[in-house]
Amino acid sequence: MWRFTAFEALLGPEDYNPDVTLPVHSSGAGRNAVARNARRSSRSRPAALKGRRGCERRAEGAMWGRLCGSGRILLLAGAARHCGRPHSRTQKLFSTSSVLSATEDEPTAPADSTTKVASKEGAAETPKQKLLKMIGDMKVEVTTKRKFQQLKEQEIKKQATNKQEGLHGGSSTFQNSAEDVQRSKPLNPELVQAASAVASSFPHNKEQAESELLAQLRRHEETTDKQRRGGTINICNVISEMTVKRQSPAQRGVRISNRISLEMDEDGQRIKPGRPSSHSDSGRSLKAGKRLNIFTKASPETENALKTVSSPTIWDLEFAKEIAAVTEQPPRNGFEEMIQWTKEGILWEFPIDNEAGMDDGAEFHEHIFLEKHLKDFPKQGPIRHFMELVICGLSKNPYLSVKQKIEHIEWFRNYFEEKKEFLQEI
Amino acid sequence: MAASALCWALRVARQVLPCPSQTRSYYVDWRMLRDVKRRKLAYEYADERLRINAIRKNTILPKELQEVADREIAALPRDSCPVRIRNRCVLTSRPRGVKRRWRLSRIVFRHFADHAQMSGIQRAMW
Repeated sequence: MWRFTAFEALLGPEDYNPDVTLPVHSSGAGRNAVARNARRSSRSRPAALKGRRGCERRAEGAMWGRLCGSGRILLLAGAARHCGRPHSRTQKLFSTSSVLSATEDEPTAPADSTTKVASKEGAAETPKQKLLKMIGDMKVEVTTKRKFQQLKEQEIKKQATNKQEGLHGGSSTFQNSAEDVQRSKPLNPELVQAASAVASSFPHNKEQAESELLAQLRRHEETTDKQRRGGTINICNVISEMTVKRQSPAQRGVRISNRISLEMDEDGQRIKPGRPSSHSDSGRSLKAGKRLNIFTKASPETENALKTVSSPTIWDLEFAKEIAAVTEQPPRNGFEEMIQWTKEGILWEFPIDNEAGMDDGAEFHEHIFLEKHLKDFPKQGPIRHFMELVICGLSKNPYLSVKQKIEHIEWFRNYFEEKKEFLQEI
Repeated sequence: MAASALCWALRVARQVLPCPSQTRSYYVDWRMLRDVKRRKLAYEYADERLRINAIRKNTILPKELQEVADREIAALPRDSCPVRIRNRCVLTSRPRGVKRRWRLSRIVFRHFADHAQMSGIQRAMW
């Protein structure tokens, strides 16, 4: 049930006491250990705690612990955690600011960060200028392996102290946890100032923007800390698992011998390895063999020769058919059967041509624009009206050929010609 | 010469070979024959009937013209109208109980289906 996670590897094997070790492992950030103890004890804890889920719960617990002080942004942070959230302006801004904050100095003194959130400084300068100044002042921190180890030791000490605290303050209340939130792991005051400046530059909802920015910062800090702690261990594990691949001397010899060919040509000259590429690809050489004349124009002589053969007589055709009928074998497999059926016309040709058998050779405009056939009709009157309707219907008919449509119109013309005297009587 | 003689012999031999399909050289009964005639006539006069009907079923043309068209269409042979065609069974000429997809009456259909001679048909069971 209990799986070893990265953090457990850090601490090593311990006496397994579910009530106590859970908070220890959950203090990945190492900040709200007591707060989380309180939370965990108050909630119902499931017996099985998988490594992956534990990370989530830890993060969630950290989030809850930090944000309980500033109650109004609880929901916002919870929503912002999901990946599928559409990028808001604040997040876009953050993508750049988080990069900058990664290069920030590590927070050293536990300052009271939450009180600073509300205060905005320096109304003399415009917020933009302030922001730019702060970004310019930010330094790049280079972390070395020594620093990592120092961090590690610090972490171990912290967790040891937290463990002791957990034993004592197992039943701490919400208020205690809130205080712990404020005390532990504060944000860099410069970052806070930058966040406030950025938020003030927004047209509306400054407070909300600021709170969101700060929440993002805190989250980022937490993730970077986690990576720092977990980074070295993971790399060590990975490298230790890797093995060096050994090449046998036989394989090496084969590779070398492939490069140097000791084959001799007919003339006594060595065949260079460059040649085989053109030979081996096609099986036969590229330059030998009959030309297909696909890309070169066939000479006019051959064309003339074909023309003189033209118009085979009926008897020749019959003879050819007889030979084909005699020599044909029953189809050996389904494919040949299908080929036979296609030739006979039983099976359609694939890919299916929608206009198979009704080519006509006519373009679409001949089907649709049929007004030119109405020249002989009177231009006014009910007959014209009627014929225009007929033409409209014919143009929409995809099943008739152009000839058939013209035949319809012709018939009407003849009909009305015959009835002309009758019509004039009316 | 010899080749053509050989071809002829082979063709005759193939024709004599027994074919498993049923072949009929006559219509089943006179009613079927009459139905066949009606179908042929209907095919011939189909266009004309369509055009004359287009004149008749109209609100634009004058009524007199439409009455003339009425008389004309009535003058056409009676068997040329498609309404007189009856979808009979192809094998037994039964006028009723004919399934359109197979053109067979229900009895013949059942007979063939039970002998597994209808492709893709099996007894329903659910």
